[in-house]
Amino acid sequence: MTAGAAPPRPGTPQAIESYLAQVAGALPGAARSRGDIVAELRSGLLDAFDAYRSAGLTEDKAAEAALREFGHPRQLASAFGPELAARQSRRVALTLVATGPLIGLLWAAAAAASNISIRHAPPWQWPGAPAGSRVAFPLAAAAIAITVWTALFTVAATGRLARWLPGRPRLAPTAAATAGFGAMTADVTVFALLASQLLTAPGTLAPAPVAAAAAASLVRLTLTRRATRRCLAARAALI
Amino acid sequence: MRAETLKGHLDGMLLASLEAGPRHGYAIMEALRAGSGGQFDLPTGTIYPALRRLERAGLVQGTWSEVGGRRRRAYELTPAGRRMLDAERGLWREFSAAVTALLEPEPRPVTS
Repeated sequence: MTAGAAPPRPGTPQAIESYLAQVAGALPGAARSRGDIVAELRSGLLDAFDAYRSAGLTEDKAAEAALREFGHPRQLASAFGPELAARQSRRVALTLVATGPLIGLLWAAAAAASNISIRHAPPWQWPGAPAGSRVAFPLAAAAIAITVWTALFTVAATGRLARWLPGRPRLAPTAAATAGFGAMTADVTVFALLASQLLTAPGTLAPAPVAAAAAASLVRLTLTRRATRRCLAARAALI
Repeated sequence: MRAETLKGHLDGMLLASLEAGPRHGYAIMEALRAGSGGQFDLPTGTIYPALRRLERAGLVQGTWSEVGGRRRRAYELTPAGRRMLDAERGLWREFSAAVTALLEPEPRPVTS
């Protein structure tokens, strides 16, 4: 079971709540991960608070001692930096790995439904292939290859392989951002091809499959752009 | 004891603290503090990111539960975590035996 954003527990000393708010404000990354971390820290702080209370301290003194034990809020938040960067990177890479084949299939279906005959030849030699194919197809292929490898590497490095890769917190967000740039390059290249075909021979395109593939690519492009920015932000937040 | 000295061994000690059964973050920290006779007094905050890292690596498994109206996250060793702990322990024994042999003055045999 994972926790979402945890609501403040009634009866939590005010000093502890404002400390947690400071930590949450300084934590980089997605809100979901932050909520989970803050909930765990709250329970730890309350354990410490209880321990000091049973040792005979007043409420104020016990809260103060518990907070001292956990350290400066900014320092505590930055200790989570590598972890949050790894999670963010893993999420992005898994999404790219999962959506990539789907988008590829949608474009293949769109090309098949359109008046472009797929042959056993390079795509730019297909009858009816858009102008600019000779440049665009190799570029898209290279971008996709880079995306696949860097995304798979990110998934591996942020999972089991993390046991053997200690102390390299920048590796995962760098690889994930590279995968993100690769996917964006592929999407933009395909859109350029689509634009070229729309300008020169719009009649050859099958409207519905092409619109479906374009919509899927556009959604992914938007989301990937945001996710890549987050990876870079998480990477920049590492000390 | 200095934090840097401790850093390389933190993972092994966290795993060891879970060997007897599941514990939550604060109990793990107290176990480290008590088990080391107060020598390892880490800032408590550093325990939590380390536990999350071990969880992502599949060495421990964290579970939320509610005890007495308070939500707690308890960690337990996975089979891979147990194997890792055994490996770390073996390495540490070899390493510490070698360091002890080199650092401790040996009683010199009396020659006549």
